[in-house]
Amino acid sequence: MSGDTDTAASRGLASCHVCCKLASSAIHTCPRCGAAMHLRTTNSLQTTLALLITASILYIPANLYPIMITDTITGAEFSTIIGGVVLLIKLGSVPVAMVIFIASVVVPSAKIAAMFYLVWSVESSDRENHRQRTKLYQIAEFIGKWSMVDVFVVAILVALVHLDGLLVIRPGIAAYSFAGVVLVTMVAAEYFDPRLMWDQLDNKNDSET
Amino acid sequence: MTAKPEVSKGKKFTAIWIIPLVALVLGAWMVAYTYMTEGPEIRVHFKTASGLTAGKTVVKFRDVEMGTVEDVVLGENLEVITAVIKMKREALPLLNYETRFWVVTAHIGGGGISGLDTILSGAYIQIAPGSSNIKALEFTGLEEPPLTPVDAPGIRLILLSEGAASVGPGDPVLFHGFEVGRVESLTFDLEKKQLRHEIFIDAPYHELVNSSVRFWDVSGISLNAGAEGFSIETGSLKSILQGGVTFAKPPDFEVGVPVDNNTEFRLFPKYDDILESPFGYREYYVVSFDQSIRGLLPNAPVEYRGIRIGAVKSVLLQELVEKGIRDNAKPRGVPIPVLIYIEPGRFALPDTNESLELMRKTFEKGVRNGLRASLEIGNLLTGAQLVELDYFDNEQAAELGEFEGYVTIPTVVTGLSGLEQKISRLLDKANELPIGQTVGSINLAVGELNSSLKALRVVLENDDLRTIPAELQNTLEALRSILEDEGIREIPGELKSTLAAAKFQLQGESTEAYQLGRTLKEVESAARALREFLDLLEQKPEALIRGKQNLEE
Repeated sequence: MSGDTDTAASRGLASCHVCCKLASSAIHTCPRCGAAMHLRTTNSLQTTLALLITASILYIPANLYPIMITDTITGAEFSTIIGGVVLLIKLGSVPVAMVIFIASVVVPSAKIAAMFYLVWSVESSDRENHRQRTKLYQIAEFIGKWSMVDVFVVAILVALVHLDGLLVIRPGIAAYSFAGVVLVTMVAAEYFDPRLMWDQLDNKNDSET
Repeated sequence: MTAKPEVSKGKKFTAIWIIPLVALVLGAWMVAYTYMTEGPEIRVHFKTASGLTAGKTVVKFRDVEMGTVEDVVLGENLEVITAVIKMKREALPLLNYETRFWVVTAHIGGGGISGLDTILSGAYIQIAPGSSNIKALEFTGLEEPPLTPVDAPGIRLILLSEGAASVGPGDPVLFHGFEVGRVESLTFDLEKKQLRHEIFIDAPYHELVNSSVRFWDVSGISLNAGAEGFSIETGSLKSILQGGVTFAKPPDFEVGVPVDNNTEFRLFPKYDDILESPFGYREYYVVSFDQSIRGLLPNAPVEYRGIRIGAVKSVLLQELVEKGIRDNAKPRGVPIPVLIYIEPGRFALPDTNESLELMRKTFEKGVRNGLRASLEIGNLLTGAQLVELDYFDNEQAAELGEFEGYVTIPTVVTGLSGLEQKISRLLDKANELPIGQTVGSINLAVGELNSSLKALRVVLENDDLRTIPAELQNTLEALRSILEDEGIREIPGELKSTLAAAKFQLQGESTEAYQLGRTLKEVESAARALREFLDLLEQKPEALIRGKQNLEE
């Protein structure tokens, strides 16, 4: 057993989720804060997978339904995410369009795909590229929250633009769905225990030795 | 090396799976809801897409959104555009065969200013549901919004006029100056060469309309200068500015029967025309005159014994020529057909179709009994003629004829021209008389008569003949003396007493007569006894010896 694979688990120690105290994995409550202690996050893969599926389902209406309804005196206008991007490109605001496209389309879909891949890789005991996977996890967790940009834009517009009779902006079904996607993927990322990836490394080393 | 800690696999399924399940159910519900609430897609054809924007223009019914125009496409033949409209599900009962669509934009017209809200909001499509039961998903939109809703209570009528159009869509229909309806559309009937106004009269005023009301145009100001002075006629201010139609029952008219939707009425140019010819029902007849019709002008009266019952419409010269060419008829002596019309209303009959039928039958019977048309001089100064209908007793029974689809009434020639004809006929006959021959025979007869007279004179101048009177006188005197004799005078008295005696005798009141009667009775009984005896003797001759009693034993 090499030193770099020496882990707390291998030494029979578990970290408290709340206060990060290392204690023996044999005791199930943290001696410092009294929280439940587990070696690894319980049902991590299952929870992550369930949440990812939820996010995928929510992602469909988020893109098909209008995210923003603009009521003017000439009638209501419905804008979908992609419709908004297309409109912005047509209007010449390519950078803004790119921001919205990346934040609202690329990032959530990429994150969902990445998380699926990670869950799959852990489940199927893939031992290759664990460094890249770790990096992938870090990126996914980091940029995931930026997807909320779109939701925030809608929320701000709804709050600000409320000129009764002239111009009223209402959130559409997609806004709720999209917020759901972002939140659920964030929770999914949170539930995903990256140590499970590295455990495979130990197992690999174990099987080698 | 420490022991590898136990890594529990955890539960097979955790509660977290409820979350995707809920998401799935929600998604499924959304799909189902969308599907359930999805209305029909309809196609409405318009001439132009003016005001229609795909994805924006809405369809409204009573100002409630019923759908949205999804797409506006050009029709196949490039003549129409088609608006593809996604309707809401609740609009489904509105869509049937009679449903009408039209584009509402700001409109300033006779009916007032409408659709102001569309200046800001853009045009929208208005839908008016029909009452048909046949469902439809494809419609042809109206180019002009209908002025009256389809289901508005009231009555829709058609006015026909031959004059210039001064009444247009949106103009008011007045009754005693009060607006009770409006003109909806104005079209020109190419076939009849008539203007055709569709008007709508709102409830409850539609009850004012019946078969005896007349419509006339009250557009503008009518100024009349006549022998009675000036008269100015106007309708309401609105009708002066933009025209209008009014209606009323002409004086002395009975209230007619209620009328149905789309009943046709004549639109008279002015009120005076109604007083002149207020009748709506008329029957056309053709009368063919075998004489000059000089002075018979259109609108000349048609009279029955001096009562006006109709008017002359026209002379059917063209039809006559055409018929002549077609039938290859002889080019001369063809009677000239004149088209007249007769209005049953003028016979104090109700102005209805039934009266027309009654009149037709009366004419059919009348012609059999000698009803004839004739040309009469109406005005000796101008020579204007009129058509007179009357019964002529010495006419042969005839039947109604037919000319180019019209019923014809047989004619007779009367009046001055009739007299003229009769005289000329008489002269013609006189011309034909064998006057020379007649005069010759007369001369001969006169000569013979002359000689006869001469011979008579010779006889009369004879002397013997001259004494005859004197002798005759003597004879008569002798006869008188005989008659004056006493004996002769007593003869009548004696004759009288003799006859009385004879009468007495015959009546059986004298003894002689009584005795005579008895004697005769006895003779009769003797004769009967003798007959019985003879009968007995004939049957039983032995009785002569044996006697009657013995024989019976």
